Amino acid sequence: MIKASNLFKEFKLSKKQKQENGTSEEVYRAVNDVSFECKPGRIFSLLGPNGAGKTTTLRMLSTMVVPTRGTIEICGIDIAKNPNEARKRIGFLTGSTGLYERLTPDEVLKYFADLHDVSKDEFEKRKEHYYTLLNMHDFRSKKIGQLSTGMKQKVSIARTMIHNPDVVVFDEPTSGLDVITSENIITLIRNCKEENKTVIFSSHIMTEVDLLCDDLAIINKGKVVFEGSMEQFRTGMKSGTLTGEFIRIVNQSN
Amino acid sequence: MKKILIIAKKEFLDMFRDKRTMIRMILIPLLIFPLIMNVVTRIQSSVSKQQAAEKLTVGYIENGQTIPSVSRMKTEPNFEFITYSDSATLQNDVASKKINLGILYAKNYLTSYNEGKQANYTVFYRGADAEEFGRFEELLEREDSVLIDGRMTLMAKNYSYIEPTNGNFVNLSSIKEILAKYAGGMLPYIFMAFLFMGCMLPAIDLFAGEKERGTIETLLTSPVNRAQILIGKLIVVTSIGLMSATIALIGLFISLNMLQADSEMMTAINSILSPTLIATLYILLIPLAFFFAGVMIPISVYSRSFKEAQSILTPLNIIMVLPAMAGFFPGVELDYVTAFIPIVNVVLATKAIMAGNADFVLIAITFISLILLATIAIWIAFRQFGKESTILR
Repeated sequence: MIKASNLFKEFKLSKKQKQENGTSEEVYRAVNDVSFECKPGRIFSLLGPNGAGKTTTLRMLSTMVVPTRGTIEICGIDIAKNPNEARKRIGFLTGSTGLYERLTPDEVLKYFADLHDVSKDEFEKRKEHYYTLLNMHDFRSKKIGQLSTGMKQKVSIARTMIHNPDVVVFDEPTSGLDVITSENIITLIRNCKEENKTVIFSSHIMTEVDLLCDDLAIINKGKVVFEGSMEQFRTGMKSGTLTGEFIRIVNQSN
Repeated sequence: MKKILIIAKKEFLDMFRDKRTMIRMILIPLLIFPLIMNVVTRIQSSVSKQQAAEKLTVGYIENGQTIPSVSRMKTEPNFEFITYSDSATLQNDVASKKINLGILYAKNYLTSYNEGKQANYTVFYRGADAEEFGRFEELLEREDSVLIDGRMTLMAKNYSYIEPTNGNFVNLSSIKEILAKYAGGMLPYIFMAFLFMGCMLPAIDLFAGEKERGTIETLLTSPVNRAQILIGKLIVVTSIGLMSATIALIGLFISLNMLQADSEMMTAINSILSPTLIATLYILLIPLAFFFAGVMIPISVYSRSFKEAQSILTPLNIIMVLPAMAGFFPGVELDYVTAFIPIVNVVLATKAIMAGNADFVLIAITFISLILLATIAIWIAFRQFGKESTILR
């Protein structure tokens, strides 16, 4: 479970940035009083146009950046007080997640399993599970630099799941990937739901959201402009299409 | 500690799989000195042989005299003497490389010699071809000895007549001391240059490289503190730097053995490279390696890409290595001022240890100041690594 309450994130602007943005403000507020809750067994989507604050929000949830104000709880753990305990429960994946090119999938998985204190037996069990599920046996010992984009993404998926996280954070996970590789990610998200995990993913592709999510929040200029279930979103639609409704809500908030 | 070791182990594996690391950190330091020395000595010996075998053409003007020296010199192998009548032509031919050298005997050369006076001659040579002049000068000196002998015999005197004193100079410095004084700066310089270069590539790859590849985000969401990540990587950066410097020293030692220098020299070198010196050198260089890493890491963390980090750190190489040349200057020694100057203090301390005149207090100051400096540099690195605006730039 994820509980974000009154999240703010401000970035100090340099003189150059102030000149470029034509502002005299000392800080740029990327996230402005954002609150939401993601429940286990449900898929929560964070929607918004480019620069809306999605990535910053997800980076705060995954403990990569510290909120300026507000609190985040991951499975009941306050991430400000106990970030490492929270991190043990988080899996993080983006569409552009890099891997260590000179290592093999076996070595990458072992590295992250060790960092997450996964026992040897548990590691072997989970590794074999994902190798079979994602059909990775043929390239498990090849260096990652020699693998195709699709193969690399499979390694990334296995790496994200090797410590069996309760919460999985996907930041635009299918961005820049082909249809087949994207399908692997979509399957993974569905599997996570079946395993009663808490899933949050950011996207700006409405069809992907429609296909997967149970709950959603639309974020624009750092503020939540819609929050509710997918069903509530559909019921209250004033536009003919989901994408049209998304654009309408964003424009209305501008 | 466990997490630090996990990170360090992975980074070592990653770095050793990198061909660039293997070539720049291990292969080049190991082979550079044996290769350079081998090539230089081969070239030198081949050039010397070639020069000795090369026939030198010497133009001469006797000015209407028959000079016995010319007749004697004509019998020398690899010399050809050609007579000239005009000084200007002779000088022109030397200058235009038509002939190698020229000698013009004064009109009264023979008369002067026979009267016991100084007989004059002028030699025309090209300073740019010093080795040709050297060979001819040697021949002229030999000829001079013949002429002196002739005069001594005539006067029934022996050599002590014109060399009234005979000084006996006894060198009480050991070869070890001489080596330490004149070549003592070399050892820490080499060690430091390779230490810096050795730290540079992993410092770039493990921070800027990790950012560029997009792997840093995954690492930052793992249950490990930033301090642990930094220390794990720092261990790898400094270890590879020290490894590279050690390999360079091994390479240097191999090349010295290849030179087959005279045994007294090799014994002196072996005694200089004593376990005490090596241990002291490492004690001083370990904090210096951490200092180097501490300077490089914030730059690498700040950089967006491998290339950006490299473009900032490469000029820094010169700034860092220049003070290491302090050991080459005579008179610059470890004192209460230089002991506080990083890099310079290590070079001078090593030189003093090698010469056997190290002051323990100054060595301790050097060590403590290096530790302090390394701590400050690592603290700055830690601050930089903890900054969101830098790490996710």
